[in-house]
Amino acid sequence: MDYGRILQIIFTGCITGGLYALVAVGLNLIYGTMRLLNIAHGEVIMVGAYIAYWCFTLYGVNPFLSLLLSGLVTSFLGLIICKIIFLPMIQTGKSEETIQSNSLLLFFAISIILTNVATLLWSADIRGYSYMTKVVQISTVPVMLNRLSAFLVALVVSIITYLLIQKTMLGKAIRALIQERTAAKLVGINSNRLYLFSFVIAFGIAGLSGALLSMIYEISPFMGMPYTITAFVVIVLGGLGNIMGSLIGGFIFGLVETIGISVTSPGLQSIISYGIFIAVILIRPKGIFGRGL
Amino acid sequence: MISSRKKKYIPAIGIPALLIFLSILPFFVTDYIVSLLLDILTWVALTESWIILSGFTGYISLGHSAFFGIGAYVMAISWMSLPYPLIILISATSSMALAFAIGFPVLRVRGPYFVILTLGLSEFAKYIFINYEVNVKGTVGRILLGVPPIKTLYFSLLVIAFFTILCAYLIQRSRFGYGLFSIREDEDAAESLGIDTGIFKWLAFGISAFFPGAVGSVMALRRTYIDPYSVFDPIVSFQIIVMAFLGGMGKLHGPVLGACILTLISEFLWARYPHYYMIILGVVLVVIVKYLPSGILEIVGKLETAIRFLRTRMGCIF
Repeated sequence: MDYGRILQIIFTGCITGGLYALVAVGLNLIYGTMRLLNIAHGEVIMVGAYIAYWCFTLYGVNPFLSLLLSGLVTSFLGLIICKIIFLPMIQTGKSEETIQSNSLLLFFAISIILTNVATLLWSADIRGYSYMTKVVQISTVPVMLNRLSAFLVALVVSIITYLLIQKTMLGKAIRALIQERTAAKLVGINSNRLYLFSFVIAFGIAGLSGALLSMIYEISPFMGMPYTITAFVVIVLGGLGNIMGSLIGGFIFGLVETIGISVTSPGLQSIISYGIFIAVILIRPKGIFGRGL
Repeated sequence: MISSRKKKYIPAIGIPALLIFLSILPFFVTDYIVSLLLDILTWVALTESWIILSGFTGYISLGHSAFFGIGAYVMAISWMSLPYPLIILISATSSMALAFAIGFPVLRVRGPYFVILTLGLSEFAKYIFINYEVNVKGTVGRILLGVPPIKTLYFSLLVIAFFTILCAYLIQRSRFGYGLFSIREDEDAAESLGIDTGIFKWLAFGISAFFPGAVGSVMALRRTYIDPYSVFDPIVSFQIIVMAFLGGMGKLHGPVLGACILTLISEFLWARYPHYYMIILGVVLVVIVKYLPSGILEIVGKLETAIRFLRTRMGCIF
């Protein structure tokens, strides 16, 4: 394998990885703060993708603008879902296991509802649009402009999330809640408000990443599940509840997947991804940084 | 006193009576009713087998669709070359063998990790089969010709469902079952009391995988066309969980009730509102989990308490 090809693989891997990191952050935020596994995560991404698709095909709105709209709509969705369904359930004071298993069902129901509403609205067809398909050269590597710019946006959003979590008071409170829930409540952290906040942020980021993905990949009402799985893989790699870990985990997964595909064949992509996932969870269930929950 | 003795006799007479009723019923009703009953039996068997691992030990598995799919594929591959009951047995055994093969490392993983891992494993199996179909065989799916009449399938599923419930019942009553319950309550404590939790979980996983293999192989004949996407559909696993939770997992008749109710609701909605069916199903699910978190049996239990209360208060009247 020559130098250019290796560079190409690394580039593609990083771009995919950046998007994966963004896809996974939201899932990890909800898991970290609330210990709820959001299996409807991919469906939220799907909603974001369709909003961007709609804006582009109907009104010709630039996807980089409509991703804000996608993010707003999905975070509003998160707000409603959290207020109506999840906060009341958490406040009933049931045991943690009951809440966990019930929330699994609720998220499943939400994912069914979203998928089927999308099927009604936009039919089950696979759709896509082409935007910024020009190819640019970075040193010797040709990269599609939409991939590159989606990656850059993903990077910016990830950095903002990082700063939010690491530098602000709010982020500190969230990290405290992730590390030690009872103690965090004892020192006066308003957990309910933070639950709501992480829901809104997580759904917002998911919608936003959906808009980015719609620029690159095809979209359909059933696109959600593979992204949910991808997000799971990434957060397991980085450690459940470890927000920084999942950002790095995204890059690692993107790279490993791209390398795996390039040495075998594109048809094996799913097998490789799931294989990595199973291997990681069996060998290092606490994530590669060993600091899971 | 009388009531407790009565309670003892109800299953002894009721279950054989129900079995006889269900075995002669197909000869008196239309094929539509038979297919509806067949669906109910399918889900009863799947949910009850899921209970053996996930209900008893608390290890929520999303891997049942993989066992279902493997059963279906064994049937698709060996149909017409082997006798029908033997294929079902082989399907079930191969599902169980797979579960035993992967059981030890998989069951070491706990809590939410286990949930995601089993989901990942079943998707992994799906893609391996897709790859096998596309790259090795050059096909998409398989068509099964000359399938037996629906009544035969119905009786096969009746037998499978019966043995699933029997098996779950026997396990629940046995020392093995108590071991599994102790894992659900506190695995570390159970281990420190000398229960070999590894072996217990492993056995439960294997037994619980046996029945979906059998159901899957019968369902392959029912559908007459199968492809990896449809038989390894993760929705199967999710639907099992929904049914188990709907009925309540505390008792064995809970999942049966859940399977019956959800199948009937789906059938009703599917016939009347085909476009909105899944959406309504989702909403129903939200409402159930939100207002009946311990399952339908909760209402039954509350009613029983209320009736008992009334009886003791007004014993002379009743």
